[in-house]
Amino acid sequence: MKVRIAAVGDIHMGEDLRGRFRPRFAGIEERADVLLLAGDLTRHGTEEEGRVVADEFRDLPIPVVAVLGNHDYHSDAEEIISVLLRNAGMIVLDDQATVIECHGETLGIVGGKGFGGGFAGKCASEFGEPETKAFVRHTKDIAERWRVALKETPADHRVVLAHYSPVKDTLEGEPKEIYPFLGSYLLAEAVDAEGADLIVHGHAHLGCEKGLTPGGIRVRNVALPVLGRAYGVYSLKEDLNV
Amino acid sequence: MAGEAPQYVAARVQRALAEDERTHELGIRVDVRGDQIFLRGQVGDEYRRETIAGVAGEAAPELELHNEISVVEVRDPGEEENL
Repeated sequence: MKVRIAAVGDIHMGEDLRGRFRPRFAGIEERADVLLLAGDLTRHGTEEEGRVVADEFRDLPIPVVAVLGNHDYHSDAEEIISVLLRNAGMIVLDDQATVIECHGETLGIVGGKGFGGGFAGKCASEFGEPETKAFVRHTKDIAERWRVALKETPADHRVVLAHYSPVKDTLEGEPKEIYPFLGSYLLAEAVDAEGADLIVHGHAHLGCEKGLTPGGIRVRNVALPVLGRAYGVYSLKEDLNV
Repeated sequence: MAGEAPQYVAARVQRALAEDERTHELGIRVDVRGDQIFLRGQVGDEYRRETIAGVAGEAAPELELHNEISVVEVRDPGEEENL
């Protein structure tokens, strides 16, 4: 059987959107084996909004794996939000991996927020003021944690779940001037080094759905305004060696 | 002294939309043309659409505001893609 990945990001929930998505997830178990949430699950990053997200995805019939996005950090409540989501049965990844069994095959998911910095040749460097160095180092550290997590997670299939984009392709439609705040090539470089079947991300509401890393890994921008549907479904090739 | 350049007005409104605790919206495009201001983008519901217009209007009260923001549609998931 093929492994089917459902994914959406940037749902930006608040009390005013409570219950808006749940009906759209009815029957998801017929369409997908796992649901990935690509960050920006809240708008202001408050504990109250975290409760709305937890209630919206509580007890879905398939595993739900989430990362947080920049909005979820805004009110310094990211740890509380993570706990609320975990208490609702979701797996929340912060530069870690989890392995899920699907139809007798293993699906490794490495996930984290990611960060910005820009893309090869037009990016920030770890140079100059401490503020600039800290910005770039944050992305470098995340990329290294992803590389290690992928290396230490052998599985039949591997997917990377992020909020920020690892490639420019899926930013097409966004103003080029803000690319450095939308993602970093360091993320793609780390994933290309260890290999994966798919990378999903959000964050770029004006971007487009489909792209590729320089190493040929498929990238999908699943931000809700880009998809225009409750979630995208991506099925991975069967592993014929199993 | 000349009036405030439209680029600065647009930047001020965009910053207000991102930083005002009522909105925190980063994905709205703001254009100023003459005495008019245009807002474009997608948000989750009508309430947010109106709140954004309110915050933008406070940041640039002298301009005629055109709220071209649409409410994002959440359609059914549709076909799966085979990778």
